[in-house]
Amino acid sequence: MIRTKSGSQRMVKGIGNAVLVLMLLWTAIPFYWMFVTSLKYDKEIYGYEATLIPENPTLANYATILRDTPYLIFLRNSTVVAVASTVISLIIACLGAYAIARLNFPGRALLARLLVCTYLVPASLLFIPLFAIMSALRLTDTLHGLTIAYLSGDVPFCTWLLMGYFKSVPTELEEAALVDGCNRVTALIRVVLPVSLPALVVVTFFCFTRAWNEFLYAYVFTSTNAARTITTGLVNFMSADVFFWGPLMASTILSALPPVIMFLIFQRWVVKGLTLGAVKG
Amino acid sequence: MATSATPSVALPSGSGTLRYQSGKFSRFLLRDRTLGYLFLAPALVVVLCLVAYPFFNAVLLTFQEKTAGAPGKYIGLDNYRELFNNPVFWRTVFNTIFYTAASVALKFVFGLSMALVLNQERLFNNFYRSFLLIPWAIPTVISALNWRWIYDDASGLINNVLVRLELIDETISWLADPHLAMFSVIAVVVWQGTPFFTMGFLAGLQSISKELYEAAEIDGASVIQQFWHITIPCLQPIIVTVVMLSTILTSAGIQFVLILTAGGPADRTMIFPMLSYAYALGGAQRLGMGATVSLFFFPAFVILIYFLTRRMLREKEI
Amino acid sequence: MLTRRDVLRQAGGVAALATTTPWWLVRRAHAARREKLVVWSPVALAPQVDRLLKEQCYAYAKQAGIKENELEYVEIGTGQWLPKMVAALEAGNPPDVTRFGGAQVALYRAQGHLLEVTDVVEKMQTVPGGLFDASIRAVMFKGKAYGVPQSVSPSPLVTRLDILEAAKVDPPKTWDEFIEVCKKLQKPPKLTGFGMCLGLHTDTEGNVMDVVWGHGGKLVEADDKTVALNSPGTVQGVKLIADMYQKHKIIPKGAISWDNQGNNKAYQSRQVIFVINASSIYAHLAESDKELYNVTGMLPVPAGPAGASDRLNTAEWMLFRHNPYPEVAKGLVQYYMDPENLRVVMEEGGGRWGPPYKGMYDTPFWQKPGFQYWRVMLERGRQYASPGTMTAAAGEVWATTVLARMMHRVLVDNWEAERAVEEAHKKVVDIYARYPEG
Repeated sequence: MIRTKSGSQRMVKGIGNAVLVLMLLWTAIPFYWMFVTSLKYDKEIYGYEATLIPENPTLANYATILRDTPYLIFLRNSTVVAVASTVISLIIACLGAYAIARLNFPGRALLARLLVCTYLVPASLLFIPLFAIMSALRLTDTLHGLTIAYLSGDVPFCTWLLMGYFKSVPTELEEAALVDGCNRVTALIRVVLPVSLPALVVVTFFCFTRAWNEFLYAYVFTSTNAARTITTGLVNFMSADVFFWGPLMASTILSALPPVIMFLIFQRWVVKGLTLGAVKG
Repeated sequence: MATSATPSVALPSGSGTLRYQSGKFSRFLLRDRTLGYLFLAPALVVVLCLVAYPFFNAVLLTFQEKTAGAPGKYIGLDNYRELFNNPVFWRTVFNTIFYTAASVALKFVFGLSMALVLNQERLFNNFYRSFLLIPWAIPTVISALNWRWIYDDASGLINNVLVRLELIDETISWLADPHLAMFSVIAVVVWQGTPFFTMGFLAGLQSISKELYEAAEIDGASVIQQFWHITIPCLQPIIVTVVMLSTILTSAGIQFVLILTAGGPADRTMIFPMLSYAYALGGAQRLGMGATVSLFFFPAFVILIYFLTRRMLREKEI
Repeated sequence: MLTRRDVLRQAGGVAALATTTPWWLVRRAHAARREKLVVWSPVALAPQVDRLLKEQCYAYAKQAGIKENELEYVEIGTGQWLPKMVAALEAGNPPDVTRFGGAQVALYRAQGHLLEVTDVVEKMQTVPGGLFDASIRAVMFKGKAYGVPQSVSPSPLVTRLDILEAAKVDPPKTWDEFIEVCKKLQKPPKLTGFGMCLGLHTDTEGNVMDVVWGHGGKLVEADDKTVALNSPGTVQGVKLIADMYQKHKIIPKGAISWDNQGNNKAYQSRQVIFVINASSIYAHLAESDKELYNVTGMLPVPAGPAGASDRLNTAEWMLFRHNPYPEVAKGLVQYYMDPENLRVVMEEGGGRWGPPYKGMYDTPFWQKPGFQYWRVMLERGRQYASPGTMTAAAGEVWATTVLARMMHRVLVDNWEAERAVEEAHKKVVDIYARYPEG
């Protein structure tokens, strides 16, 4: 009995490790290529013999990015917009999702669907009228404008996601709190949110990364380098010259760091959240 | 949930915010109904101003022949007629469905596998989790450019490696070959989008109580049985949410197709956001037609979401 | 304490705001703005040129007493100009000055966006030698000018002279000779003969038209109304391209997905022997790769049975009507087009474009052997719609890459050339029908 149990456990573990290795390779190879390119000189990048290991590794591309382009400004802009839009969306979405998931009021189902439907409207449909609004409000080429524009995609998205998670939180916790004398507001803040911490972290992370990667709105709404984000600023440089791969790849590596670091930090919170909110049967 | 008794708990508050009193107004305010609207209000405002208004604007556009900056001319259903008679449009419909279904299915399978694996106990799990997130952390545009180059005929990584290993004589045109182009694009989409699924599923897996598994094991359930009867049902709401969201994100995402193939070769990878872009911003500058393409796919999503939210809202907790 | 009245008042305010927003937003758009000059400069694919243009803009601003924060100079990457223009026009705030080719002047004039600048153009015509006909035609409509000629740009056959010399081969004069030379000298997969752009981009339009002209085909008649695409000449041209790609294999397979930089990259990384392109490559090499620059020649495009095909493009400055400071904008364009300033950009820019003034080609720079044939093309060159002119309709045909799609039908969908040409012809007819005034 015991032998077969650990045997099947080991097999599962073994398969798991094999899958992990495959996944790591699959993720790593293109990333490795980007990384290695960022360390090469132009001639080596464009030659017909693409080398897998740089012959003359150099940090010149990173220097170009940091020195000759306003990359740090782009980085600052991306960060500000991503953080601001994430925080605001999260607050709005928490409230909205809680209302839909827990409170009972006429029109709840309809409003929920309406809210969620708005997420369906593709950006390709919205961006021109939205741009007209931003222009008239003198919000184009500003970080505030971009933040507001990102809300249009983030709020429905976050609300929907949180709706799902809130629903899966057992109601016993809140009921206990309400009986203890809390009202809905405190119940939300003190009971539901801590238990949903993993979900909140996930949603925060998604929002941040969506804003980080966003291209279309940033592209249309910003023109000058003062307001450009990482995605549009560098693409502009890229197409400005025929050969820019080295510095572009250097920027890729730099640009991928903040979300990854964020995730590394937030991982602890996920674990913490679990131990805080564990529901014992 | 009647709370008519006045407790001694006071909320931390500054002046002017809600205080817990047994006044009639406060009870009115804290009733489900008012609170519901109040909580929902900010979200609704955002949505009305930033989505609903531009959306109706765009709907009106579909009935006009309009170029940028010039007033539109109402032409009734002519845009729709032109679109339906255009073979490229039908090709786009087929492509969009295939592309979305294939991408989401692959992302689902890979994402779930990755989540299951990462949920296991092992050393350096945190590192693996962060590392596997990288495709999603890299700005999409740059990913796309990088992959375009990896697929390149002459200096591309794949061709170079294959030629050097002497597996092929002639380079493969990953993005220019009509039979390969769509799969090449899908591969990139899956590469970039899988972490989204992984993260979602991982969070879901971690909130499944270990005791359920322990109990099942004691009862003699095998690993596979545990998977089917515990894991999947517990994950169900998350699976549904993530799959639906990804379907929308994927099908409406333009960046990969735009940068990798621009819809070519010969419209083999033309999906609807690309077609809309091509009409509105690609030379013809016909905003009416661009809006018409986008609008056409909208009802499909509405139907999807309708069924999804009906299921979710049906499950009432009490 | 929060009262019911407060809540209701706030709610009412929000509702009122949401419904009336559209109206007062539009009114605000026309209020005065801080910038006195907004310039959008599409990149030239030769970095030194971009640098010079920017310097000159700032120099003008200084001279005109415009402060730095009143000037907005934006460089726009390849392929991004059009989307940004559409969005900007729709929002009602296009730039004051911008530059583009491809009949955009005709298109935007037809839509009523452009400022009339006849005075500027008339002054330019007083420069000795005057302007090229193509440049003048591109901006005039019913006797008035709606754009300012900026440059002319022939598309010769950019050639690896060293490869030809090493094999003791003469430059090919006809398409048949060209195919033979390519087959003989190419070494696939590393070196392919002809870097013809075949992607769904505007470079392809030009490349395809070169071959079509050589066989007697054309887009539209001289009346700018009768579409003439479907002809035996066009079909023959299409068949030749298909043969070059499929039978003779002198075009890289990936060319089908190249963008406008694709052939530049291919030539500059020494992967192809011949490319038909404007002098952007030549100018870029002047600064980035002297070795390759010295062995690059700009030769005549091979002729077909119907004769030679020299293609010429023009680019124009566009000034928009929405500008509250039109005199400042005009001043900038006049500054740029002053012959001395222009000479700096054109010559120090390595010959990326040519000046639209006929009389500026006697300088030592343009007399260099590399530009010998290039100058011949300035006289003989035709534009894409020839014998028609670059009207708004022609511009849309070009910008929506009708010929590129036609080639994809043949090369990818395996259609018969006749059928593909017929479909393309119909598309062009539909486009021309939407522009009754041309």
